[in-house]
Amino acid sequence: MKRSLAAVTALLLGITGCSSGGDAEESGPVTLTLAGWSLATTPEFKTLADGFKSSHPDITVELKEYDAANYDTQMIADLAAGKAPDVYVQKNLKNFFTYQDGKQLVDVSDVAGKLGPKVGGLSAYQVDGKTWAIPYRADSWVLYYNKALFDKAGVKHPDGSWTWAEYATAAKELTTKLKASGDKALGTYQHTWQSTAQGFALAQTAGASLETGDYAFLKPYYETALDLQTAGAQVSLGDATTNSLTYQAQFGKQSAAMMVMGTWYIATLLNQQAKGDADTFEWGIAPAPQLTKATTGTSATPVTFADPTGLGINPKISEKKIAAAKEFLAYAAGADAAKALAGIGVTPADSSSVADTIFSLKGAPGDELSKFTFTTHDTKPENPVSKYTAPLQNILKDLHTEVLSGTTPIDAAITKAQDRAKNEVLSK
Amino acid sequence: MTTLLVPTPAETAAPAAPARRPSRVWRILGYLALAAAGAVVLLPFYWMVLSSLKGNNDVFTIPVQWITTDPVWSNYADIWSRSNMSTWLGNTVVLSAVVTMLQVLTGSFAAYGFAKIRFPGRDVLFLAYIGTLAVPWQSYMVPQFVMMTKLQLTDSLWSIVALQAFGALGVFMMKQFYETVPDELLDAARIDGMSEYGIYRRIMLPLSVPALASLTLITAVTTWNDYMGPLIYLRSPDLWTIQIGLKSFISQYNAEYALIMTGSVLSVLPIVVVFLLGQRYFVEGIATTGLKG
Amino acid sequence: MTTMPVRRRRWRNTAIGLSFLLPNFIGFLILTLIPVGLLFYYAFTEWNVFGGATWTGLDNFRQMARDTTFWTALRNTLYYAAFHIPLTLAVSLGLALLLNRKLRGVAFFRAVAFFPYITSIVAIAQIWNMLFSPGFGPVNELLRWVGVDNPPGWTTSADWSMPAVIVVGVWRDMGYYMLLFLAGLQTIPGQLYEAARVDGASAWQRFRAVTLPGLRPTTFFITVLLTIGSFKVFDLILVMTNGGPGQSTLVLAQYIFRKGFEENQFGYASAVSIVLFAICLLVTVVQFVVNKRRSS
Repeated sequence: MKRSLAAVTALLLGITGCSSGGDAEESGPVTLTLAGWSLATTPEFKTLADGFKSSHPDITVELKEYDAANYDTQMIADLAAGKAPDVYVQKNLKNFFTYQDGKQLVDVSDVAGKLGPKVGGLSAYQVDGKTWAIPYRADSWVLYYNKALFDKAGVKHPDGSWTWAEYATAAKELTTKLKASGDKALGTYQHTWQSTAQGFALAQTAGASLETGDYAFLKPYYETALDLQTAGAQVSLGDATTNSLTYQAQFGKQSAAMMVMGTWYIATLLNQQAKGDADTFEWGIAPAPQLTKATTGTSATPVTFADPTGLGINPKISEKKIAAAKEFLAYAAGADAAKALAGIGVTPADSSSVADTIFSLKGAPGDELSKFTFTTHDTKPENPVSKYTAPLQNILKDLHTEVLSGTTPIDAAITKAQDRAKNEVLSK
Repeated sequence: MTTLLVPTPAETAAPAAPARRPSRVWRILGYLALAAAGAVVLLPFYWMVLSSLKGNNDVFTIPVQWITTDPVWSNYADIWSRSNMSTWLGNTVVLSAVVTMLQVLTGSFAAYGFAKIRFPGRDVLFLAYIGTLAVPWQSYMVPQFVMMTKLQLTDSLWSIVALQAFGALGVFMMKQFYETVPDELLDAARIDGMSEYGIYRRIMLPLSVPALASLTLITAVTTWNDYMGPLIYLRSPDLWTIQIGLKSFISQYNAEYALIMTGSVLSVLPIVVVFLLGQRYFVEGIATTGLKG
Repeated sequence: MTTMPVRRRRWRNTAIGLSFLLPNFIGFLILTLIPVGLLFYYAFTEWNVFGGATWTGLDNFRQMARDTTFWTALRNTLYYAAFHIPLTLAVSLGLALLLNRKLRGVAFFRAVAFFPYITSIVAIAQIWNMLFSPGFGPVNELLRWVGVDNPPGWTTSADWSMPAVIVVGVWRDMGYYMLLFLAGLQTIPGQLYEAARVDGASAWQRFRAVTLPGLRPTTFFITVLLTIGSFKVFDLILVMTNGGPGQSTLVLAQYIFRKGFEENQFGYASAVSIVLFAICLLVTVVQFVVNKRRSS
């Protein structure tokens, strides 16, 4: 009986398979391909694919692996050759412009229109009144601090009221007092990236913009960074690059008591502490230091930065696949996906509703300030979308290494960058 | 002709060796100088091996530790179990072998045409070969990728074979070596009724063993160490080569420097073995005694 | 027989010559020559890699003339090449002469000299950066030990980053070119040395009169390769300094990558490639002519 049933089913399936033939495009199951990177250690893509499958049994999302460091190079080649996956991730906003301007993205304004107001980072993907990608995660930069080291040094924990000056004072105090108690840890660690100074400067300074070609707004941030380097409260850029320091080891191995870093590091830190790759210690997150007192304190909204991570659709795929892909995008930005992503420590685009999920993970901090930090922030894009952003960021990257290596004084470096911006980029 | 391949000590008397044997003192001093230079050259390599035997947190220390008292051999077992090392090694060995074979064969074949047969358009063609060497790959990478996609070669090992096997380097190198073979020798063979193909196979190939050996090694090493090519063309993890695999391993475990160094040591070892096995051919192949006399 | 040969032999020679080239040429044509040829078109366009290119005439080249970063990259590339080419040539030839003998243990040293070339570039960058680390690196510790009070900052200083990169470049490439020189040395007939010795020539005279002329095809080949390699230097700089600090080690090949893949101006990147190509070709042709004149 069972066997004959199976035979009949098989026959039926075979027949429907045959008869639908040309209509296969119109109905039936769909398989979408999705680009991701480092699949073994980056579970978010699989989480999205599996979560979507359970609510949309007809649509299967298959993952295609890309290299994390060369994601955009590989994707550009694939798109140019017409063999890119159906849905691909916008890893940062710098390259989003390349894809949008190159007509490699489907207009997804209709998906965006149906999303709730809490989805962060959406505006970053809007060009000419249309939306070209949907964010599924929206990180933001915060201040990580090691509670154990603060207690050891006898320095008061951050309370959300810090400006950069207070942050620098605390970093120096920590360094001195830790040294006195025989600990080699430094006060703070700012990684080698230009964004550790420039991202905050651009986000927090009123009227600052890359395209004005006026970069005086960077000055106070570099003064703080240089001051910390000279005082020995922070590893110099030279030592950090020549010794290939990693930020994960600097904070996770307790070589620094504080570190400004994006919220993506929460998942990494939890994971590394659980596996023993990082030391086990109490930590917390606080709002990033602010430029002025006006945006400090838990009654205000601290200003910070980060690029959202979004999903875009390859326009070369069939209508039917586009429809399925849009459903997938809507799901990825929605509340269900937010919960699932928070469950693996990822900061979803809709972050306000998932703080409880993230902070109930094993090893996560339980204090109120950490929760406040996670849920309350005004996050500006690191790379505002424009055709000038990528070349301007390359010029400012040179400024970063020039200033922090002590090659050129801040003022001279800023003047040079402004000249270059004017002559090489903005004049075109 | 095969007898030509067998080196005899008398023939291979080192050309640049001085007439009289240097005194013992000088010889010892010479060895000491070589050893000192060798130590300097090997220092980074030594550090790489040393780091592969340390714990993760002991790799970058201030100041540098040049010895380890407690080697962590388990790193080697770890990397084997946590990565796909055997697949990567397998792919890389296959690729290196196929690419090298094709490059040496087609390269030396074409080089004979360029060096020893006169025909119109030859020099222009040759200039085109050298010209392409002067263009950085990243600038024509995308058009090439599109071409390769049209040929349905991407994401298969064939793409790397196609990419590496027809390079201009082998042609250029072999042509230069063939030009040192005197034309009179070939003319004599032609008069004896040997065809051009016969001359290539029975005179040129045996005469150019040292050059062929160098080309073989250099092509094998280039293919072995190529990173950007496989990165762009090989996407499925089961096709990855050792360089791609290692790099992705690094970005996944980006704070685990001891393991990274372990991987680097493992990636170099096979080449060292090939070098040590094959290196006598670079200098001993055959002595071209009598050719120019 | 006497009326046919010239024409017929020419035709025959061409056919035979082409038959030798063909197996390599087909692959070369499709995968290298055509994509490279396309660059000469893209260099005169605005092209974002995905769609069609818009013809813009000489715009890219005009822009290049005003582009200070392009000139910086060109200057740095020339700086690198000016030191890297002669140094590598001298060191690798010296090594080849030294190791071209039948002494016990020489095989081992040959392998040692080749080691840097096979060591992974990532490991090379990490190790050398660490060796050059200004505060605690062994290089500066050694310099302090021999009495240099204020040793350079190497890769962290705009003045010393290029010398540091050149040192590593020479160190890395010397084994590769040594191998080519070794192969070249084998083509020099042994009895030329015998004859020179009989004439009572000193070691230096034998080197001048026998070794150098005998090596000419090899030296030419190596100089061309080395020139092209130096002008195209990319991966070493990318992993060691990424062009910094500031723009002190930014080179043309890296600038091309930035303009293309990071800033999506593939037309402009193609134009810079053409300039790089022209420079390489010019230098190569000069070498060709010098080589021809010397050997005749």
